[in-house]
Amino acid sequence: MRKPILLGAAALAGFAAFAADQATLDRGKKDADLACLPCHSLRLVQSQRLSRSAWNKELDKMTGWGCKMTDREAILEYLVANYGDDKPPSPPAMSKNGVPPPQRKQ
Amino acid sequence: MPYTRRRLFATLASAAAASQMARGADDGITIPGKRPMIVHNDRPEDLETPVRYFDTWLTPVEAFFVRQHLPRPSKIDPEAYRLNVNGMVAKPLELTLADLKKLPQFTVPATIECTGNGRAFHTPKVPGIQWMRGAIGNAEWRGPRVGDILKMAGANSSAAFIEVDGADTGVASTPDFVRSLPMNKAMHPATILALSMNGQTPDIHGFPARLIVPGWDGTSSVKWVIRISATAQAGTGFFMNPGYRYPKYALPPGTPAKPAELEVIEGMPVKSCIAAPEEQEKIAPGPLTVSGFAWAGENAIERVEVSTDGGSRWRDAQLSPQKLPFAWRLWSLEWRPADPGYYTLMSRATDTAGRVQPIVSPWNPSGYLWNAIDRVGIIVEKTA
Repeated sequence: MRKPILLGAAALAGFAAFAADQATLDRGKKDADLACLPCHSLRLVQSQRLSRSAWNKELDKMTGWGCKMTDREAILEYLVANYGDDKPPSPPAMSKNGVPPPQRKQ
Repeated sequence: MPYTRRRLFATLASAAAASQMARGADDGITIPGKRPMIVHNDRPEDLETPVRYFDTWLTPVEAFFVRQHLPRPSKIDPEAYRLNVNGMVAKPLELTLADLKKLPQFTVPATIECTGNGRAFHTPKVPGIQWMRGAIGNAEWRGPRVGDILKMAGANSSAAFIEVDGADTGVASTPDFVRSLPMNKAMHPATILALSMNGQTPDIHGFPARLIVPGWDGTSSVKWVIRISATAQAGTGFFMNPGYRYPKYALPPGTPAKPAELEVIEGMPVKSCIAAPEEQEKIAPGPLTVSGFAWAGENAIERVEVSTDGGSRWRDAQLSPQKLPFAWRLWSLEWRPADPGYYTLMSRATDTAGRVQPIVSPWNPSGYLWNAIDRVGIIVEKTA
């Protein structure tokens, strides 16, 4: 009955090959912040829920638009791990009231 | 809309829930001149109108959605503003705001909707601002006709398009926001260079001068317009190609489109949304008003039907009186739920050309033109 254990070990090894380690994810977050913030807020990134291939395409598009990425692979791993299409949608954020109260007539 | 005490309590509860959610999720962003809005992006501002504000035919400026592709240009001094009209014209012009105000002024009520409104409802998910129902608003826009400006410049009869550039510019190598519009739409009497909306000139909505292309996707209505050029061909910049294109042939969801089979989006489909009650709202037993809004691009709304039982039976909603092309109609239906429990409310619009809102909105890689029959789940509570 060794076969299932071997298969399990192989599956785990396969998983390890795809799952990024915490150091990579941390580096990816730092690099993503540096790469994205010059043009837009991070909210735009964090509200997306995309597959690995869709995130990959987004990174290609942004590179084409002059985005400088120090560690592209780490950024991709960070985005997939946190904003993948298997994650629940982010709750909508609301701004505070920016309408001044009506002025009272004297 | 009749506002019963019960309904008021429900609204207060809903507002409290929204405010709770806001406290949980916001990070102190305030947009000057705007009520609390759904913030998809705060730099540049991409703001969605919460559906509870959609209870008036004209959407107040303080509640109107905001879409920006590029950082907002610094505020334009009305005295220093110039509009260049050039390209295939007999007499290139450099017009001041005073020149534009001397032309005959026209008021156009029109609903402007972001091309990607409803993107969040597409499955599989697609990249882009995850708009739900509120990247839309209806306003009275006022200004000179684009046709009059082109006539003044002596636009060449062989010019088939105009190219319109706003004062906003991209960061790094981000492409500039430049759009082309076919000449026949540019010359349409309702296509104007708006100098005000609802009598106001808010910088965040593209003033002192912005294009209004009624019935077409919001992307066509370029903000902070500083150049109009008459051209022989449509522009080829990113925001014309591949941006804002739609598959010519329907695609299996999740599959890529062939670039050669993508077409520029022009008119908009027929659509309705439910504004009240809201998704997952808890309602006390008793009579209730179901209400919302419906619009149809270049057509007018003919009919809105509402179902309170998941689409089995449909009843005609009452429509607001203004039956105009380009502008939405508000609708409402009085309803008394027979029993407590969970109800699926749905709304379905039909326009003057006979187009009917579909059950399934076609998936497309950029998530444009969502127009499926709207659907909201509510809980009618038991009597205490």
